[in-house]
Amino acid sequence: MGVRPACPAHSHNRRGRFRPAAAVLGLLLSFVSTAAAQEVATPSANPPLPAPVGLTAVDQPWDAGGAILLTWQPPAAISGGDGAYRIERGPSSEGPFSEIGSLPAGTARFVDREAFGGAAFVYRVTFEPASGGVSTPAFAGPIAARPNGFRTDRVNALVLVLLLTGLVLFFIWRARSGARLFVRRISGLNAIDEAIGRATEMGRKILYVPGIQSMDEIQTIAALAILGYVGKLSATYGAELDVPNRDPLTFAAARETVKHAYLEAGRPDLFREEIVNYVTYDQFAFTAAVTGRMVRERPAANFFIGSFYAESLILSEMGQTTGAIQIAGTAEVMQLPFFVATCDYTLIGEELYAASAYLSHEPVLLGSIKGQDMMKAVLLIVGVIGVVLATMGFPIVSELLTMH
Amino acid sequence: MRLADRLLAVDRRIIYLLVGIGTLIPLLFPIGLPVTITPPVRSAFEKIESLPPGSVVVVSFDYGPSTAPENDPQADAVLRHCFARKIRVVGMALYSLGGLSVAVEEMNKVAAEFPLEYGVDYVNLGYKDGAQAALRRMNENLHELFPRDAFGRPVSELPLMQDVRSLREVDLVVSLATGIIGEWWINLVNAQFGTPVIVGSTAIGTPKYYAYLKARQAEGLLGGLKGASEYERMLSDRYPVVAEIYRSPTLYTATQGMDIQTIVHLVIIALVVLGNVLYFVSRFRPASGDRHA
Amino acid sequence: MRSQLPLILTFVAGVIPVIALFSPHPVMVRIASRADRWLVIMYAFAILLGVVSVVQSNTKKIARRDRGWPYAIVLLAGLTVMGGFGILANFGIFGGITTVAGRPTPFQWCYSNVFLPLQATMFSLLAFYMASASFRAFRARNLAAGLLMISAIIVMFGRIPVGEAVPFVPMITEWIMDNPNAAAQRGIIIGAALGAASMSLRVILGIERSHLGLGKGE
Repeated sequence: MGVRPACPAHSHNRRGRFRPAAAVLGLLLSFVSTAAAQEVATPSANPPLPAPVGLTAVDQPWDAGGAILLTWQPPAAISGGDGAYRIERGPSSEGPFSEIGSLPAGTARFVDREAFGGAAFVYRVTFEPASGGVSTPAFAGPIAARPNGFRTDRVNALVLVLLLTGLVLFFIWRARSGARLFVRRISGLNAIDEAIGRATEMGRKILYVPGIQSMDEIQTIAALAILGYVGKLSATYGAELDVPNRDPLTFAAARETVKHAYLEAGRPDLFREEIVNYVTYDQFAFTAAVTGRMVRERPAANFFIGSFYAESLILSEMGQTTGAIQIAGTAEVMQLPFFVATCDYTLIGEELYAASAYLSHEPVLLGSIKGQDMMKAVLLIVGVIGVVLATMGFPIVSELLTMH
Repeated sequence: MRLADRLLAVDRRIIYLLVGIGTLIPLLFPIGLPVTITPPVRSAFEKIESLPPGSVVVVSFDYGPSTAPENDPQADAVLRHCFARKIRVVGMALYSLGGLSVAVEEMNKVAAEFPLEYGVDYVNLGYKDGAQAALRRMNENLHELFPRDAFGRPVSELPLMQDVRSLREVDLVVSLATGIIGEWWINLVNAQFGTPVIVGSTAIGTPKYYAYLKARQAEGLLGGLKGASEYERMLSDRYPVVAEIYRSPTLYTATQGMDIQTIVHLVIIALVVLGNVLYFVSRFRPASGDRHA
Repeated sequence: MRSQLPLILTFVAGVIPVIALFSPHPVMVRIASRADRWLVIMYAFAILLGVVSVVQSNTKKIARRDRGWPYAIVLLAGLTVMGGFGILANFGIFGGITTVAGRPTPFQWCYSNVFLPLQATMFSLLAFYMASASFRAFRARNLAAGLLMISAIIVMFGRIPVGEAVPFVPMITEWIMDNPNAAAQRGIIIGAALGAASMSLRVILGIERSHLGLGKGE
């Protein structure tokens, strides 16, 4: 194995990466100092420098293995001087050693991120002052990097995940046991029936855009859940539905959702594959296609539910000009002002996720909303306590909640 | 219908015309208005200023041609800053249209202004699909994710990439983002791996990023054309070589674009004020079927 | 089994990244990384599915002379030309997708001269729509709407050089962005994140299944 580049990880040893600059500077300095020294003595006459102090090598904690953390202190005699640490690694204290990094004076930490394979290594660190010479080496090891099973620095996140899961499951259980759970009315959802009814009366189509993101976006899943409801109602009333898609995965899922909705409504005969159609992968070409349909076909109701970006205003403003009832829903904070300004009803943030549960009126789903609200209450209380404590000079809560 | 009502129900095409004229005038007759520096842009500038020569910065071109008038000047300014400070740059794109045109053209254009060698001082890894899944993997192995650069050369043969195997060896990420991608960098890379992130967002996206800026999850923020123009001014003040570049009459700068933004903002403000005056005048009559209560 | 398999897959795919967040064990890292890789591959195949749907629905539209059928011809022509140049470029025909000896390849030419200006045009529409939406929406109908309108005017004014020259305006603009704006954004972000977490939990546990085309009984 040849000489490998330094792979320092954090701010302490980042300076190790400017080896070219450090090397040039070192060369220049050594040239100047050597030229000066030649007048009085030869460089080989320098006495050996003491080794770096307290070199330790430990397995980098909380990682997937393959990393060893080295720490040391500068040799007392040369603290503050220019020069470089040479980090070497070998299979045993007898060597052979190969250089794995070089760090400027002032650093005291290095992470070897290539200690893979479970083999044990011995590390050798020497200091080479810019004025010439080399310190006696310091050794550490043998040590092997081991993978850890659990990241203890993320216990706080795990506690929050378990708390949310626990609260949601508890309220689902309560709902299943027959407890009556109150979930506030969401006006945007009540307007869905009205919008579909109006489209049916006018004999015009319903346009439903399930966002422009893929299935790995949870808003898209929420959008498809609401699409299921809209599809079922459209099938029941016999209204024409049009679901254009930008994402191919969402398109495939939306088609299944609508097909099932028509089946549930008892009108599988009305389902045609063109109802859910794919347009294009490009955001603005998609927008142009959908706004074109709005102008030509003048849908009576437009639904923009899911994850939207810059196209939100173009779509909804165009819908405004065609006089359609517009219902939007998104958790994209940047797009909410546009939807609020141009649509009749907007599901804001969490309302989008609560919508499918609300529409279904299934106790199990409503239970999950209740659990989520409780979690929010917990976070609010913790937040207020954290703010008060931080203001008093004890940032304990923010430290506890910081994920490393 | 009274005059106030008629003006309130004005054909929106009149509004479009006013905006169009407001855009054209400064384009034909540039004004050259000065900009002042805001704290989010200053902290972005100072972050790059604090990096010593030889550091590695990832510049992610997470935007396409649609938002290029806003994001291009941001990208150019950041690249000029890095190159002027001899900071090495790894370019990439998580937005499909960013890799094909934006990253290639902007990097080539700015790199030509400095004595740089491709593969040593900067590389362009091109576009990677897979969005958040791709980002999660960058902290493990960049070479596996980008086996070849934007021009088809094996990444393992590029000297710069010998020092950069994963995001762990990167000192800073600058995401020039059309929408949410800057947020992915903050949530997946900064929050989980600790790599500092600066976002260059479109003006529309800027308000959202303030929440991350205040939480110190973003080291700095260049909001739209305004952010880019501030950055250009700081760069020109600090680096005479860059100031010389920005004086070129053929170069499109954010500072020039601010003239247009100024007039259009004034047109919109005038429209809002006029709309409210007309609204209060017409309030004495019963409202007529306005759904937006 | 038709209904059980998607639910099992959803559960497994949902649980993997959660465990991987807390366990850096190589087995877990490998599984999570493999799952991410699968997602990238599946995505590529899904695009093919989309192309098939576009071709099918638009050829039907043309055959039936549906409303707006000439647009379908434009769409299919664009798909064939752009897609054709792009695919052939990958086999080295027409010299790739960027430039050859400083001259644009056919794909790059179409991209720069057709696609790029169309993209920029669509995005530019926002400026016009924003002006007309602001004219309609920013009305001081009540105290809250009035405050919103005044904040909007200050921020719009404070983000341009003319406004910056007015004393206190830049300071008030930054204050609005830093405080009321950031606070509201955080409120919505935290609420939405909790909603997303709860929704994810419902999906992972198979309580929410309508997106799979499954009813509650299945």
